[in-house]
Amino acid sequence: METNVRMILFKEDQIDQASDAIETLHHHGISDKDISVISGVPFSEKILGRPMSWTRVPQIAVAGALFGFIIAMLLNFLVPNLYKLSVGGMPLTPIPTSIVVTFELTMLGLLISTFLGVFIEMLSPSFGPKGYHPKISDGYIGILFNCPTHADEDTCFELQDLGAEIVDLAEVKQP
Amino acid sequence: MTELLAKEAHDEKWGMVIDLDICSGCQACVTACSMENNIPFVGEDEMAYGRGMQWMRIRRYWEGEYPEVTPDYQPMLCQQCGSAPCEPVCPVFATLHSEVEKINLQVYNRCIGTRYCANNCPYHARTFNWFDYEIPAPMNSYLNPDVTVRRRGVMEKCTFCVQRIVKGRQQASAEGREIEDGDITPACAQACPTDAITFGNLSDPESRVSKMVRSDRAYKELENLGTEPRVTYLKGGKSYGG
Amino acid sequence: MAADVKPFIGSKASPHQESEAEELRKEHLMLDPMPRDEMNQMVMEAMTTTTRKWWAWVIGLGLAVAVLLFGAWGYMIATGMGVAGIRRPVFWGIFIVTFVFWIGISHAGTFVSAILRVFKAEFRRPFTRAAELMTTFGLAAGALYPLIHLGRVWVFYWMVPYPNARWLWPNFRSALVWDFLAITTYLLSSTIYLFLPLIPDMAMARDRSSGWRHFIYKLLALGWRGTEAEWFRLRKAISIFAYAIIPVMFSVHTIVSWDFAVSTVSGWQSSIFGPYFIIGAILSGVSAVVTILYILRSTMKNMDYFIRKEHFDALGKLILVFSMAWAYFFFNEYILSWYGGDAAVKQVLTLHATGPSAWVWYTMLICNVAIPWLFLWNKKVRRTPWLMFIITLLVNVGMYAERYTIIPLTLGHQRNPFDWGIYNPTIIEVSIALGTLCLFIFLYLIASRFIPLVPVWEVQEGQMSHTLRKVGKTEIPSVTELE
Repeated sequence: METNVRMILFKEDQIDQASDAIETLHHHGISDKDISVISGVPFSEKILGRPMSWTRVPQIAVAGALFGFIIAMLLNFLVPNLYKLSVGGMPLTPIPTSIVVTFELTMLGLLISTFLGVFIEMLSPSFGPKGYHPKISDGYIGILFNCPTHADEDTCFELQDLGAEIVDLAEVKQP
Repeated sequence: MTELLAKEAHDEKWGMVIDLDICSGCQACVTACSMENNIPFVGEDEMAYGRGMQWMRIRRYWEGEYPEVTPDYQPMLCQQCGSAPCEPVCPVFATLHSEVEKINLQVYNRCIGTRYCANNCPYHARTFNWFDYEIPAPMNSYLNPDVTVRRRGVMEKCTFCVQRIVKGRQQASAEGREIEDGDITPACAQACPTDAITFGNLSDPESRVSKMVRSDRAYKELENLGTEPRVTYLKGGKSYGG
Repeated sequence: MAADVKPFIGSKASPHQESEAEELRKEHLMLDPMPRDEMNQMVMEAMTTTTRKWWAWVIGLGLAVAVLLFGAWGYMIATGMGVAGIRRPVFWGIFIVTFVFWIGISHAGTFVSAILRVFKAEFRRPFTRAAELMTTFGLAAGALYPLIHLGRVWVFYWMVPYPNARWLWPNFRSALVWDFLAITTYLLSSTIYLFLPLIPDMAMARDRSSGWRHFIYKLLALGWRGTEAEWFRLRKAISIFAYAIIPVMFSVHTIVSWDFAVSTVSGWQSSIFGPYFIIGAILSGVSAVVTILYILRSTMKNMDYFIRKEHFDALGKLILVFSMAWAYFFFNEYILSWYGGDAAVKQVLTLHATGPSAWVWYTMLICNVAIPWLFLWNKKVRRTPWLMFIITLLVNVGMYAERYTIIPLTLGHQRNPFDWGIYNPTIIEVSIALGTLCLFIFLYLIASRFIPLVPVWEVQEGQMSHTLRKVGKTEIPSVTELE
């Protein structure tokens, strides 16, 4: 079945209409995976009646924290044994001082990997129809959907009745 | 290697006793130390500003009320603490405890000059190379080849003349014997005209220093800090000026 | 729409309540919504307007940084630490004082941005970024000092833990290595924390710029479109950061205080130094935020819409609270040291209050305690931006005096009177300290024309969730949780 990528825009205060539009699309047999919503302000899925998004950032963050923790353990308890130097009557690998190092490096691992997680996920290919319009950063809510060619006109009319602004196909492009 | 050395130099624990009752404050030790350890001269102004490089300083206090005052001298040098506050604060192990001599070492070429150790030394025994100091001719001919010279930006301090300790140990080993009491004398002790400074092995209970440490007059500077100084001062009756 | 309350949540106000509502809108940014495109325009305009005065400042400060900071520092590297006034027994002087000062300033961003975010303090919205920028640049200025104060800065990397030909790792038992780790962690994470909420604003800037700006913003926006998944991911990441960076912030100033507290120096050995330093840091950081907000508001275009009296008011209250907390910790530290009866500590305390440099100690108490307590309880004062500017500047003078008292003035009077000494900063030290101030302002000036200083999406989000609600005879602001 041939499809077009369509984009409609709602003003920032037309959030109710936007969620109605998504429902309309569902009625037309366009499933959630063929719809993406883009906006200049975050809206939760519940507001729009959409399935939960997912992200692996927390998992990546925990993995990073673990990595930092392991590095800290090596620095605390392995490294001093490579070249034993005694200072100030202290044991070679005292626990109290090791806690400081462990804390800092675990947090460093956690925070850097959170960022790397965001970075990697941003650069990875995304699901759903692609497209962008500069009006999004003006606060508009954009709904992108893969519309079957035969149902194109009907759907568009119905959406226009809800107050949607239909974006010309040629204007839907990548940022 | 370290273990081998430790075996060879079994039970070394160097210490010093300074008898304040016979110290005349003549500064001969200061001079001798400077010559032995290639300590640069910083000039009058810098000296007055508190940047003298001497590893050994004579602290002079006045006792009594004017005009009835008497001077009180105390040669102050690195106390070679057993639990040294300067050591753990160094980020790069430039100052650390020697397992062999049981003294506090300063490794000049590791030092990056944070000066943390100097702040943390309750004895203010450490000196810092504020500049590159030239040793003017003809004094530069007197440089001791056994001791490295230091560049600007590193910390330095008394080493108990570790070069003499090593030499003494080698000498004894070459002659196939143990180091005996009195084999090793640091420059300050050698120069002291009143013999106020005694140096020796504290782990040998029969050595002269060990006996003197047991004296009734013995005290250690700021002992309450728990630094375990290896320098013991003797002070009792008053006989200033030797 | 701009003159109306948000229609999609609130209801239309009836005419007789108009004036009351008008008052509230004038007062609260969150109740005074503006269409997003206008707001974008305002922020973009503020960002791209460079006046002649601005260029003069940038060039002037750039030169000042080159001469005062790098010139003086270069001279010091080539000659030796001796060009600074430090000497036995005061081995740490202005450099460490200024280091602690800048690390303190850097607590502003995290405090405002993370703590207020976690507790959903709505007034934070327009200036989180301005505060986060302070954190990053404060750290950039502060992190120079551990290098500047090294006797041999050319081997600074010996403090970095990596396998090397010297077979030597740093000493993890040293507080300076903790310092190094903590500051690295904080610098990296606060820079990322600045960047994450910036991504949608970078996309905004990308959409309305061209040329080199467009290229850079496009690169930094990481292809941001604003899909649900992107927002969700960003929210997750920001909330991980907001929670995780708070303990990091506490650890940083605690470890800075441990540089002193782990030593044997009398007057430094104190188990309360950690929290005492943290409170001091937040006091000076939040004060610096007010100082900067005043400058931004009076020099940048359109900023008076975003930064209002309500913000000075709210921050003023915070400063008052932290000034009280600081006084509590100071007194706690003081009385217990004094009561302890250790002769050396008593001597240090006496000399702080009566010695030749006692004016530093009194400056600290006047600026940190007397001035905030005398003025900040007054709503009128808190709502007068220029007065707040002066008060907050003085608080930071006081905090600088605090660090000066703690470092050189304490080091100079240790256990043996023979080793007492007074330290006088030299022109080189003062020049380097001023140089980092110039560096901070310079970086801030450049950044203010390069990144959107107001997080537009966060402001709009806030405005969408605020509304006027009719309760009985009046209307009151109410907040909806959109998250």
